[in-house]
Amino acid sequence: MNRRDFFRLAGMAGIGASAISWSRLASAATPPQLGTVPTNTGISGRVVVIGGGMAGATVAKYLRLWGGTGVSVTLVERDSAYTSNILSNLVLNGQRTITSLQYGYSNLATRYGIRMVKGDVTAIDPVGHSVTLADGSKLPYDRLVIAPGVEFDIYPGLETAAAQAKVPHAWKAGVQTTQLRNMLVNMKAGETFVMTIPAKPYRCPPGPYERACVVADWLKKNRAGSKVIVLDANPGIIAEPLAFKNAFDVVHKGVIEYHPGVTINSIDASTMTLNTNLGNLKAKVINAIPPHKAGKVVVANGLANAGGRWAGVDVLTYQSTAAPGIHVIGDASATTQPKAGHIANQEAKICADAIVRLLAGRSPDPSPITNSACYSPITADTASWLTAVFAFDPVSGTMQPVPGAAGEAAARSQDNYNEMFKWFNTLMEDSFA
Amino acid sequence: MNPRKLRLRSLLGLPIALASFYVAAQTTSTEPPAGRLLASNCFQCHGYNGKSSIGFEDLAGESSSEIYKELLEMRSKVPPKMMDMHARGYSDAQIRLIADYLSKQR
Repeated sequence: MNRRDFFRLAGMAGIGASAISWSRLASAATPPQLGTVPTNTGISGRVVVIGGGMAGATVAKYLRLWGGTGVSVTLVERDSAYTSNILSNLVLNGQRTITSLQYGYSNLATRYGIRMVKGDVTAIDPVGHSVTLADGSKLPYDRLVIAPGVEFDIYPGLETAAAQAKVPHAWKAGVQTTQLRNMLVNMKAGETFVMTIPAKPYRCPPGPYERACVVADWLKKNRAGSKVIVLDANPGIIAEPLAFKNAFDVVHKGVIEYHPGVTINSIDASTMTLNTNLGNLKAKVINAIPPHKAGKVVVANGLANAGGRWAGVDVLTYQSTAAPGIHVIGDASATTQPKAGHIANQEAKICADAIVRLLAGRSPDPSPITNSACYSPITADTASWLTAVFAFDPVSGTMQPVPGAAGEAAARSQDNYNEMFKWFNTLMEDSFA
Repeated sequence: MNPRKLRLRSLLGLPIALASFYVAAQTTSTEPPAGRLLASNCFQCHGYNGKSSIGFEDLAGESSSEIYKELLEMRSKVPPKMMDMHARGYSDAQIRLIADYLSKQR
């Protein structure tokens, strides 16, 4: 990445796809609505954050906003920019580009005084309280926050990089998303696009169903007679059932074929064939989204104590139940909440608030609330939405949905589609700007 | 004297001693402001401290009673839009805390 790219990416935070010129960026001041880091909180400590996604960026920012200059925050991230998974299905129908979904880290560094370290973590010492990076350097901490996102299992048959390139998951937005877009464009009329949905929990519960809709909508308009076959490991649609049932049965009738309860035994990338419990299925394009688990750093450091796949945490602080002083937020943690960017942002705020209180010798907030919200495109100009509020239940020690405060849109609409971009831009501003 | 009055005085550039007293008072208080964590549930869509330039309605500085009233009204709207559904997730006391916090942001 060259210097110009770096600044372009950095400047995109908070303004989504809007084109912004280098000259405008150079003179851009901190927008007045954003917060400043206070100098007089009387709280001090060293926090290291691993991972600069939705959860990691937000916790770093709010540790400074709420903790003040006495709380030093180092954010370790291997990439130069974060690529948003939210809206990445719109790369498939050509409404967005991958670069329009990228957010750099210069705002976090310059506006909030977060120390950015580009690198890979090789070891965590939970007793000596330090993190070792690939270059051998060590970062001491009082509190460590890990937000690595998810890692994927590999379907039998897709062990090689070549096979994975032919059958992309495109479930971490990036190169594979653009590859899948190209595969879709290269389809001919009447050909088949197959996608697989893993058993829950996986990142963004409505996401795969949304993808089926966006792809079907594009094929209907551009490749007559083509089909989207959805093979779902779950017993039925697990998010926005009203919206997606209507989309599959009515809006995209005859284009989407939905099969619940499907087991994928293997995938042959050379013949583009899936072996399933329903038999073999051949397709022009296979988009196989594999089962998920917590990011490698969680598993490698003995923090995946929930079924060996996810990090068990105390949801008052997001402190690991395996190692004191280490907090795990976002998709990698095992909670009753969905794995998604909007709620990861709120988990990060609860974690930041708890760490600031703990550093000050106080107790965490005993009754936190989180909320999940998202919009799902059904066509190229309509969307539905989904929301839920979760409150801490002291009896079970978990976050539980507040009765009557969870649900989906009564119907898809163009208004929802337009609001989706407003929601996205503000969420990204709250996390990266 | 309450902290808000103190802040106003120090902003007016009145007695320097009073201003430094305010700073000292802040330094010794590590108690997070009431309602801040709850209200942060609004920031994803309404911006940091409810100050939005690109998102949904700007909330900062609206009167506490106005925010409280709006959220209570939303809870009974049928069919609920997203914010109407969201408002159903908070108790009256929690809505009061959120409204008080946001009304103090400038």
